Amino acid sequence: MSLAAQLAAYLTRQSGAPTVVENLARISGGASRETYRYDAVAAGERKGFILRRDPPGSLIDTDRRLEFLAIRSFSGKAVAAPQAVVLEADGAELERPFFIMERIDGGAPSSPFALDQFAGYAGEIGEQFFSILGRIAAEPLEGLPILDAAERPDPADCWRRELDYWAGVIEADEQHPQPIVRAAIRRLRANPPPPAQRVSVVHGDYRSGNFLHDGQGRIVAILDWEMAHLGDPLEDLGWSMDPLWSNPADPRVSGMVTPDEARAIWRRASGLQIDPKAMAWWALFASVKGQAIWTSAAKAWRDGGFVEPVLAFSGWYTARRQDEILADQLCAVQAA
Amino acid sequence: MTPSLPDILIGHAAALSAPQPPESSGDYLAGRLGLLAMLSVLAAQEASRGVAVRIWENGAIREVFASAAAEYDPAFAGALAKAASATDEDRTWAALDDSNDSLRRLLIRLHEAVETRRDSALDREILNLYQAMAKARRLELPAALAG
Repeated sequence: MSLAAQLAAYLTRQSGAPTVVENLARISGGASRETYRYDAVAAGERKGFILRRDPPGSLIDTDRRLEFLAIRSFSGKAVAAPQAVVLEADGAELERPFFIMERIDGGAPSSPFALDQFAGYAGEIGEQFFSILGRIAAEPLEGLPILDAAERPDPADCWRRELDYWAGVIEADEQHPQPIVRAAIRRLRANPPPPAQRVSVVHGDYRSGNFLHDGQGRIVAILDWEMAHLGDPLEDLGWSMDPLWSNPADPRVSGMVTPDEARAIWRRASGLQIDPKAMAWWALFASVKGQAIWTSAAKAWRDGGFVEPVLAFSGWYTARRQDEILADQLCAVQAA
Repeated sequence: MTPSLPDILIGHAAALSAPQPPESSGDYLAGRLGLLAMLSVLAAQEASRGVAVRIWENGAIREVFASAAAEYDPAFAGALAKAASATDEDRTWAALDDSNDSLRRLLIRLHEAVETRRDSALDREILNLYQAMAKARRLELPAALAG
């Protein structure tokens, strides 16, 4: 049975009304899960949805329930998260676990590698991008659905928990020795940051490439919440400003605003401060986390029979670029 | 560093011959082919420079070992000196990568020892080597295909 037929059968059983699935198409992005867009037609009414299904092998091994609850935590709020509809952790009807969310139409994905993609409205996009991130950081935790699945760390332990996790990923998945990232891990352990100002929802992959915009200066959706967790909000800021997401010849963050402007916007929106020592730690950590993800991608590509080119690209080009960034960061730390 | 060039080329064959269901056609298929095109350009860069880069990196690591060998305890100094005096006779991709694997493992051990001793001069030398290694392995993203 085709995926469209399986999905139609599931939706019909769920809603109790005959439902037809039309225009089912896989879309790129969200490399940790297969992502599809489709229209559900029932009782003459058509509505757009996104299906996220676990793949046989993926870039990041993440908890789909956490992603679902993170999206639900911000649905309908001023952070442009889509509406999460249903989670099937068993997922037998589509062969693998999956969840469904409402589709936000009218937006195009940004690209982490395109040059000057925001042209005449880069400042407006940057203002929204870092304001939304600030609002995620400022969101009170009490009552958020994500609390049902996410562990709440002590503010003093946020850094250790994340570093332990991603260093463990490198240890488990590395197929060729990586002296650069291992040196960075040792520097991070030897020089921990101050405790988090507050424990916040951390999107986990907040960057250029993970939002939709309308082509006229408006962000319409924040995507890819698959690495969401609770932790130090500076983690997201460090990740969003990693040089990997920017053209080396352009001083702006991802072609949007300057680093100083980005930090100022985030401070205004979050009401939080940016300790330079903490920011430097989370900036180096971002590159370690990146290298861990690219290391996993290379392993997943190999284990999956070399079939998915996105995993090859991540585990090869992106890993090498991240090594350059890490080496530059380490030299700068040593010189300071 | 993984993946290797032979892996990438095998991956092209695997990706192009893997059957795709109907819902994976259209824009998704176009994006997938675009990625394969980009990987082809990067593979051409690697094919032209990869062997030379590996030979250079292995030599550069050996140079650091040669200058550091006398500084450490006899057992570790012996391992460093032995690695420093080796050469890459077999210049196939696999042999160079095997050799690089061993050298990088020893380099990690040396750097840990340098940090423990707080030897800032050798620490700086190793960090500069990391910078040169990463730069030498850089792949240039083709601007016409990015985005």
